Amino acid sequence: MSALATPVYEIRAEARRPGFGRLTRIELRKMLDTRSGLWFSLAVAAVTLITVIITALVKGGHDATLARMFNNSVEPAAILLPVLGVLLVCGEWSERTTLTTFTLVPDRGRILQAKLAAAILLAIAALAVCLVCSVVFGELLPAPGGAGSVSIVVFAQGLVFLTATMVIGVAFGAAIMFSAPAIVIYLLLPTAWDALSSTIHPLKTLSHWLAVGPTLGPLATHSFSATDWAHAGTTIALWMMLPLAIGVWRFSHCDVN
Amino acid sequence: MIRATSLTKRYGDRTAVQDVSFTCAPGTITGFLGPNGAGKSTTLKMLCGLAYPTSGSSTVLGRPYDEIPNPGRHVGVLIDASAAHEGRRGRETLAVSAQLLGVPDTRVDEMLDLVDLDTAAARKRVAQYSLGMRQRLGIAGALLGDPQLLILDEPANGLDPVGMRWMRGLLRDFAARGGTVLLSSHLLHEVEAIADRIVIIASGRIVAQGTRSELAGGHAATRVRSTDDHTLRSALHNNSIKVSVANDGALLANASVETVGDVALAAGVALRELGATRDGGLEQLFFQLTEKAPGEARDTDAPASSPPAPPPVTPVTTTLEEVNR
Repeated sequence: MSALATPVYEIRAEARRPGFGRLTRIELRKMLDTRSGLWFSLAVAAVTLITVIITALVKGGHDATLARMFNNSVEPAAILLPVLGVLLVCGEWSERTTLTTFTLVPDRGRILQAKLAAAILLAIAALAVCLVCSVVFGELLPAPGGAGSVSIVVFAQGLVFLTATMVIGVAFGAAIMFSAPAIVIYLLLPTAWDALSSTIHPLKTLSHWLAVGPTLGPLATHSFSATDWAHAGTTIALWMMLPLAIGVWRFSHCDVN
Repeated sequence: MIRATSLTKRYGDRTAVQDVSFTCAPGTITGFLGPNGAGKSTTLKMLCGLAYPTSGSSTVLGRPYDEIPNPGRHVGVLIDASAAHEGRRGRETLAVSAQLLGVPDTRVDEMLDLVDLDTAAARKRVAQYSLGMRQRLGIAGALLGDPQLLILDEPANGLDPVGMRWMRGLLRDFAARGGTVLLSSHLLHEVEAIADRIVIIASGRIVAQGTRSELAGGHAATRVRSTDDHTLRSALHNNSIKVSVANDGALLANASVETVGDVALAAGVALRELGATRDGGLEQLFFQLTEKAPGEARDTDAPASSPPAPPPVTPVTTTLEEVNR
């Protein structure tokens, strides 16, 4: 074994703290450089591809419009990607890599911001993949009346949809801290709420405002009216902001064990 | 330079660390010694901003840890070698840290070489690593930013004897170049073999600190066997000499070899063995200080003992616990 090859230990000029761009790149890297992260991302891409192909084949005859294919292609990513968001935070605690992450970057708020930025970038990348898949397969298997187009508005709304669900995933991860319960609660709670509020009469009005599926789902389908946006906005406020607030506090204040 | 000032950590009613103060000077190795659960890891975590003290404070290189702009470039920390992502390859684990620290990627290979993890090992995922390999990877990670200070929690854990010897050499070399080292261990002989200063913690409090000779001075310095240990023991007690019993049954007296010989002669006891203990009684002191008397454990209301003077030790006649070595 060789001797320590680095002789200089006098106090150096302060090394500057890593910039936000670097932190974000590192979070993206950490999302994809583990076995589970890589396979999960590939699986999401594969499911997206399969969805698009099936849509093109099944609906090939009459309404395989680009808009419909785009809408369908976004669905799997919207369900699965936030799980990656949950793991982005919970993985640090469960794999205990917080020991390294927090000693290298003691300002935990910056780490969480970088994680959110990385999650949003991944959502944007996923949306680009969805669009490319839709366009490619829309061209290969055109409907008799032409594939049509995806309006910029619907594309932008799809972006809002994916990034919002992704951030909600990160927020749940930060708030709950443990992967398994965080994923289960992330997937079940909004669905349970949707089911509950649509069956129990007094809650029905509320479901227009706070149910994730009905208010956010159509984002990638049609351009939203002001009322639609109000509904989506309140839903996001509840499902994103509340867990995010809890998550920011817990992420910054919990001792590392 | 590390300075801990009255660090205290409470979890609800339980006090994990109580009023811990010590300093570590550049160019020295400080051994943080105590039984499992004494509060070593909690203290080290508070030094690195991983746990927040209930009261008290600490500085590293003259400022609170979280105010160092890029701490990995100054302080190498290894709290738990098993805390690495199982699904990440060994080299990638270091490469991520290198990117964060802003050191060139070549530094990763230098450090892998330094800790003797070859290319094949570096390509493996951490899940396939033995504890010793994880320890090496952790040390490589701690040295990545070319720090001037090291904080290591149980660094010898999982290393084989060759690895331990290598680690001792590495840390001595590091300190000889002016670096500051704080390492914890629950094994006395490990700390004794390397540390310039020893800080002993028990039940969350510092019970003694000083150099090896300062701590050992006079404690159980002499080992003696005789044909009539009972009489010899009474004679030593009558001469105000503290006596304890080693785990092989020999008596350990807090007095010089000459004094013990004289007492035995005066008492008319025939000796079978008489000599200075190998470590000058440090081991005996360690057990006396860290042994939890029934009912005395974690008494949070008791006034804090003030280091470095060890608390008065009453004549101890207990049998030593089995030493794990």
